[in-house]
Amino acid sequence: METNHTRQSKSQLAWTGRVTAYFIRHLQQAIGSLGDLWRTPFTSVMTVLVLGISLTLPATLHLFVKNTQTVTEQWNSASEITLFLKLSTSDKSAQNFVQRVQLYPEVDNVVYISAEQALSEFKLISGFGQALEYLDNNPLPATVLVTPMKRFSQVQAARELLVKLEKEREVDQGKLDLEWLTRLEAMSELIEDIVLGIALLLCLSVVLIIGNTIRLAILNQKDAIAVMKLVGATDSFIQRPFLYAGIWYGVLGGLIAGICVAILANYFSIALVQLTDLYQSQFVLAGLSFAEFLFLQLIAIALGLLGSFISVRQHIRAIEPTAD
Amino acid sequence: MIRFNNVSKTYPGGFLALKQVSFTIAPGEMAFLTGHSGAGKSTLLKLMSMMEKPSVGSIEINGTELSSIKYQQIPYVRRGIGMIFQNHNLLMDRTVFDNVALPLIIEGYSHKETRKRVEGALEKVHLSSKLKCFPYMLSGGEQQRVGIARAIVNKPPILLADEPTGNLDPKLSLDIIRLFEDFNDMGVSVLIATHDLGLIARMKYRTLTLKQGHMITDGIVDGLQTLGDVDGN
Repeated sequence: METNHTRQSKSQLAWTGRVTAYFIRHLQQAIGSLGDLWRTPFTSVMTVLVLGISLTLPATLHLFVKNTQTVTEQWNSASEITLFLKLSTSDKSAQNFVQRVQLYPEVDNVVYISAEQALSEFKLISGFGQALEYLDNNPLPATVLVTPMKRFSQVQAARELLVKLEKEREVDQGKLDLEWLTRLEAMSELIEDIVLGIALLLCLSVVLIIGNTIRLAILNQKDAIAVMKLVGATDSFIQRPFLYAGIWYGVLGGLIAGICVAILANYFSIALVQLTDLYQSQFVLAGLSFAEFLFLQLIAIALGLLGSFISVRQHIRAIEPTAD
Repeated sequence: MIRFNNVSKTYPGGFLALKQVSFTIAPGEMAFLTGHSGAGKSTLLKLMSMMEKPSVGSIEINGTELSSIKYQQIPYVRRGIGMIFQNHNLLMDRTVFDNVALPLIIEGYSHKETRKRVEGALEKVHLSSKLKCFPYMLSGGEQQRVGIARAIVNKPPILLADEPTGNLDPKLSLDIIRLFEDFNDMGVSVLIATHDLGLIARMKYRTLTLKQGHMITDGIVDGLQTLGDVDGN
């Protein structure tokens, strides 16, 4: 409800002038709240650092998960399906089978190892060469090694291909050694869950820390707030600079987190290069992408805003002007 | 317009600060509110400025009934009341301009309009040269005039002043009261709470006198002796 006086005075203001003034006031309050942070450097720096470091940990763990997934995808793509052919399969039938398999759209490469090749290899590797000479028949089956195309090399797709290949009449048994990959995936999922849990806890602590900082700022300006209320300021007008302060904390904390993650990624990358060189691998540690950096900023801003919002809702209403 | 209808105020603990007080200040009227310490002057001003709610009775300010008002509506009613305090209630970390501009900024006036009105208000209180000063750089009288400029800058229909001349010498006190008279001439209702019986006697305006929460006189008080009697001295 507005008084006649208020309605009258509001009608005196040109509509465009009021809209322009509204945005100018917002801008002034936003810049003013940045100035307030500047005037309390120690508190501001501490809060920004706490926010930044709190976000650095989950962001770095996210990088770890992301790079682990990249690595497992690379390992996945190198996976092979081993097909043991029936002992009754003749060499000619086996060759026909290999040709058929090569025509599969899911298959990239097929290697045929005949029963004889398998036996001679086994003789060499096992050291039972002479003993095997006494066998009447070759007990080993012919084997076909199938490498799926890259897009069919994921666990699920590779399993489907295995089932399809096992239905071929020449195949006795197929094998896809994915157990270790499944375990790796499970571990990766577990780490993701842990990262999520840690991230949630740290986000909660960030909200509480910013809420407390804003609470102290509100109490510090208690008298000014009381005066503002006396001259007709609404709670939303009074709380605006504090909300902007929360946003600034978020922006600066997000930047600190981004910088820390970049520094850590670079640090780990140097150590990884030394390690991967030993294995003649070409693995390169991926840092935060631009989209991920923006997401980190958004999260930081949202946390800053949430912390300050909770604080202003609780404390500004409680401050009432007095006649003293 | 201010209308009190059988207003009583009891504070927690049972202290009855105001007892069935009724009066009306018409638009464009000027009046004094007096009484000794603890008479209920501050409670009455607190009720008008919505720092307190009445226990019984109704209060109407500028056509708004205060007893049924919601929390969110209070700021809009306060914008229609210019309040002046003995301790000035200025923001010490802001310039004179920013202090006076505060009600206009809150109401969303444009920068141009704000500057025009602030300069006009400071000219009325003869402080145009102090625009960029901070309150701590001013004397008590100047700070009081800044408070007055802030109270009148958005042209409210009501001015409430709580001991506006409390810390000022007689000449400055008279200057301040003359300012209120100027605003009153423009149609603003003015209610001044004061202990200064000499000032009341000289000005010959309607005077509301409170004693132990009761309104004991309401009218033009004739002579200092009569006021002394009223005050119990």
